[in-house]
Amino acid sequence: MSVFMDLNLLFSEDRTRLQNLVETAAHLGFSTVAVNYVFEPSAKKKQEVPAPRPINELIGQLPVVQGRSRPIRVLNRLTVVMSDASHFRPNAPEYRRFDLLAVQPTTEKLFHAACMLHDVDIICISVTEKLPFFFKRAPINGAIDRGVVFEISYAAAIRDATMRRYTIANAVCLMESCKGKNVILASAAEKALELRGPYDIINLGQLFGLSDSDSKESVSSTCRGVLLHAETRKTASGVVFTMKIQQEALQDSADSEAPAAKRAKAT
Amino acid sequence: MVRVKSRYLLCEVNVSNRSDLLLLDDRAVAAAVKAAVARMHGDYGAALCSIRFSVKYLNAHTGIVFLRFPKRCYKLLWSALPFITSIESRRLTIPCFLNCLHVGGTIRTCQKFLVRYNTKQLHRMLPKCKTEEEKQQVRQAILSCCLPGGNKEELEDDLESEEDEEDEEE
Repeated sequence: MSVFMDLNLLFSEDRTRLQNLVETAAHLGFSTVAVNYVFEPSAKKKQEVPAPRPINELIGQLPVVQGRSRPIRVLNRLTVVMSDASHFRPNAPEYRRFDLLAVQPTTEKLFHAACMLHDVDIICISVTEKLPFFFKRAPINGAIDRGVVFEISYAAAIRDATMRRYTIANAVCLMESCKGKNVILASAAEKALELRGPYDIINLGQLFGLSDSDSKESVSSTCRGVLLHAETRKTASGVVFTMKIQQEALQDSADSEAPAAKRAKAT
Repeated sequence: MVRVKSRYLLCEVNVSNRSDLLLLDDRAVAAAVKAAVARMHGDYGAALCSIRFSVKYLNAHTGIVFLRFPKRCYKLLWSALPFITSIESRRLTIPCFLNCLHVGGTIRTCQKFLVRYNTKQLHRMLPKCKTEEEKQQVRQAILSCCLPGGNKEELEDDLESEEDEEDEEE
């Protein structure tokens, strides 16, 4: 299993920039990418959860992946930055429109809740500040049992020297307790020049304290695990899947208007 | 006889503007790599990087670079390469990044890989051609590439001709 994935490309209103990002990712050999919408609720006023834009509206024609003959697969992902327990609403209908759901907890209590209780796919480790709490063994083991993964993004490390120290320190801290299991490395790139090739990322995993095989898994098979986990969130444990079929929509579904990710999988 | 072992990294320089590639020269790339290693791994890295590091080959048209590192520490030195964000050449700063395509033990295996890789690039280029003439040229180029045989000079010519084709397409 060696298709590479990058599950974090920051969304920007600028269409050409996003297009550039996806094209560069395809050129580097990533076969799946996810466009990330960051949602940061504040205490004072109520904010709307961003709605995902349809992929074919954002990117005109999907570029072909390097070394393969298929076009790149683009998914939607929502990241909720949690600083209070009320920020994450389980089973909110807004969350269901995204393919992937991630949270970034900022306190130990929320981290514990995210690992043990919340129905999410990815837990982001903050890389732009000193770790606000220590990772405890119990919640991390719980998260690994439930199939939730931890994400470390490397774009901040490329931008700035102090961020690089925080990224490496936080990553090494995480690896001490999770021993390299259930970790994904993603870019969180805003610009095309912040992306890196998959083999470079695998080698970069060494700096973060991952072993060779673990860091290879962190860009390939663990990411696939995340996608499958996300599918179980949408369906009844990935076994039963219901969808509405309208009579006149039958022709539409024949020429597959929905993006590949939205189509029902025969699992 | 025991020979001195090295690792050759075949890297691709990615820039946002393709014409910037022509400004590159091997000394600029070497300086950028050395600076990045010194920034990431301090004096220890800089010392390792000064032993047998060199830029063996640079193709300014396709942006392909061969880097040679000593075998015992190539992973450490490689881990500094992602942190290169720009290369300074002829008093101009070119924003770019290096993407490693292949790691080989000899230049020959890297060369074999590169010929195959460039052929693939030509295949990718084919559907993007607009006129029939361009298509014909790319087809010719694909047919003319061959894997390295015994004669090295012939191969060099092949590589050259591929590059020329790619330039015309840009």
